[in-house]
Amino acid sequence: MSYLSARGLVRSYGRTPALRGVNLDVEEGEIVAVTGPSGCGKSTLLHCLAGILRPDAGEVTYRGRRIDTLSEGARAALRRTEFGVLFQFGQLVAELTAAENVALPLLLAGTGRREARTAALSWLDRLGVADFADQRPGEMSGGQQQRCAVARALVTEPRVLFCDEPTGALDSLAGEQVLGHLVRLAREQRTTVVLVTHDVQVAAYGDREIMLRDGAADPTGLGTVAAQQ
Amino acid sequence: MKPGTLVRLALAGTRSDTVRVALTGLSAGLATLAYLAALTVIVIPTVEDGGGRVSPQYRHALIAEAGLRPGVVVVLVLLTVPVLALAGQCALLGAPSRDRRLSAIRLAGASPGQAIAIAATETGLASVLGTVVGLGAYFGGREFLHRPDADGRLPLPTDVVPPVWWIAAVCVGIPVVAMLFAVLQLRRVAVTPFGVVRRVRTRAPLPWPGALIVVGLIATATVVPLSRQLEGDPEESGALLLVVLLCGLGCATIGVVTGTGWISYRTGWLMHRFGRRPATLLAARRLMADPWSGSRTLAALLACLVFGGGAAGVRSSFATDFEAERLAAQRSDPSGVIIEPRDTDFYFGAFNLVNIAIGVGLVIAAGGLIVALAESIVSRRRAYAALVATGVPRSTLAKAVMWQSLVPAAAGIVVALAVGAALSQSLFGDEVEREGIVLEVPVPVDDLALLGAGAVAAVLAVVGVGLLFLRASTALEELRV
Repeated sequence: MSYLSARGLVRSYGRTPALRGVNLDVEEGEIVAVTGPSGCGKSTLLHCLAGILRPDAGEVTYRGRRIDTLSEGARAALRRTEFGVLFQFGQLVAELTAAENVALPLLLAGTGRREARTAALSWLDRLGVADFADQRPGEMSGGQQQRCAVARALVTEPRVLFCDEPTGALDSLAGEQVLGHLVRLAREQRTTVVLVTHDVQVAAYGDREIMLRDGAADPTGLGTVAAQQ
Repeated sequence: MKPGTLVRLALAGTRSDTVRVALTGLSAGLATLAYLAALTVIVIPTVEDGGGRVSPQYRHALIAEAGLRPGVVVVLVLLTVPVLALAGQCALLGAPSRDRRLSAIRLAGASPGQAIAIAATETGLASVLGTVVGLGAYFGGREFLHRPDADGRLPLPTDVVPPVWWIAAVCVGIPVVAMLFAVLQLRRVAVTPFGVVRRVRTRAPLPWPGALIVVGLIATATVVPLSRQLEGDPEESGALLLVVLLCGLGCATIGVVTGTGWISYRTGWLMHRFGRRPATLLAARRLMADPWSGSRTLAALLACLVFGGGAAGVRSSFATDFEAERLAAQRSDPSGVIIEPRDTDFYFGAFNLVNIAIGVGLVIAAGGLIVALAESIVSRRRAYAALVATGVPRSTLAKAVMWQSLVPAAAGIVVALAVGAALSQSLFGDEVEREGIVLEVPVPVDDLALLGAGAVAAVLAVVGVGLLFLRASTALEELRV
């Protein structure tokens, strides 16, 4: 049984279909890139896999347990404890410092403030942004903000990390730095990564590439591309 | 830019822009009604009647007695404070989408001045519309309420109309002031083709508003001694005393409102220092990042409470004075009472009317608070949705919103009521003396507690409504926007 799998996922926004029966299997510790043109349903697939959205039909299982039928609260708890989520931008709390942003998931889990700050500083250091620990997001560059976001996504040491166009708002150099850190740390921790991107260079960081077209895995057979790295 | 183009661009908006225009118009209409009512009271003709100047054609003493009418005028004008504050909050409604529209217009070649002119025109047109509706309601209401009783006396001054140029001044003044206010609100905003940049004050607020409160208290404390010194022309000295009194009230009220920024920052700092939960951390940092938010959003509520606290103090002072008078009369003639119950009823009836006006003001101020809170939540919806997506429970965000709304409000409410009561005491003193009977004026704890509880209940209700917006704004579909 796969670590994370989707079977026959269907999801629409009003009358507009986003997913039309997607099947997907991801193994533990694997880095999978989901690619495809804009509007093909990549982000919707990721949101369904992460329990952010509930599919209209089909099922999502994580470590053999069906998660799409869980309550909103249970799915939120899963995202808080087992999953990490990384978006393109706008995920850091503007008023909190970098260290407080990274410490936030630990505080939510009940960790003490001092302990949470120590862990946050350690992660900021691993991502090369320790000097910005007491700066707010507005005082940092896009790349530095995104590295903080990576630190926040990984600070709870999640089993699965979902990344939605994590370098979409960055220039190529900053994007490479962020992805380099992300992939290195994920491999160190054996974290499973599902990476949504429209950029083939970003997709090359994955072990495997899934191509979506019009809300379904590419029917031409190009849907699954074997290991790139 | 041709005027037609300006109007077209000003009115080209989304649903939230339409709501903003409607609420701005409503505020302008209410303000027009209040100002026209105040002007109508001012132009009531009076006749000399042994005891003083009166207008016998009216049923209620508040309008019939010339000496009481300035109070009615002041209350009507004060009612416009929360109304105008509501208009100010409405100007923020849908601000992000308006900002995007203005940026797009800049990208198409408009100058920064033209972009600001478009925003100001939108507010101006909404105000003109509201003023016209208010004017219609005023004249329609006059017809509807013109109901003389069997003695031919009227309940309201529906038999007089202010001079045309006064009415014109109101109808022109309100839209012009609204437009100026819109421009003023945009003074810290740079509209560029790539987006709207808001310059925020990062400096922590200083406690100087406390000095303003002290100046206000000192000014009101000098009114009575000054009136004893000025024994010349009563009209001239009366005007001077009124100016001193209004300056004192104004200084103290501005001190309370701006002091809320300092209170917000300090309470945020304390919450950050000692708070342990994520919700308090989020709220504390938000309070510290924008401490002036409390001043802006709570201004009308706090102004109402300063006047409410003052009114409660004046009522307590009058009640003590009546009691001293009654005791003095009983001492000289144990069987007689000088003050007829009817007279005290009249005064307390007037105070009740003032309380009703303050209550109406609080309700309108609460309306402004709802708009401000909803807008602040909606404008941060993507960040909230991202937090929820990463597993932050909605209850944590709700608690953070509650803390950041309630903490500055609770502190501000206490300060406002205390300053209001202190103003009354500095004006009338802490004791009254009637023919050797000296009584201490009690602090109207019950009235102040009632006002405070009412204000806290209003803020809680506002937070409750705001949390409904939070629920909608943290919908994970926001991540797709």
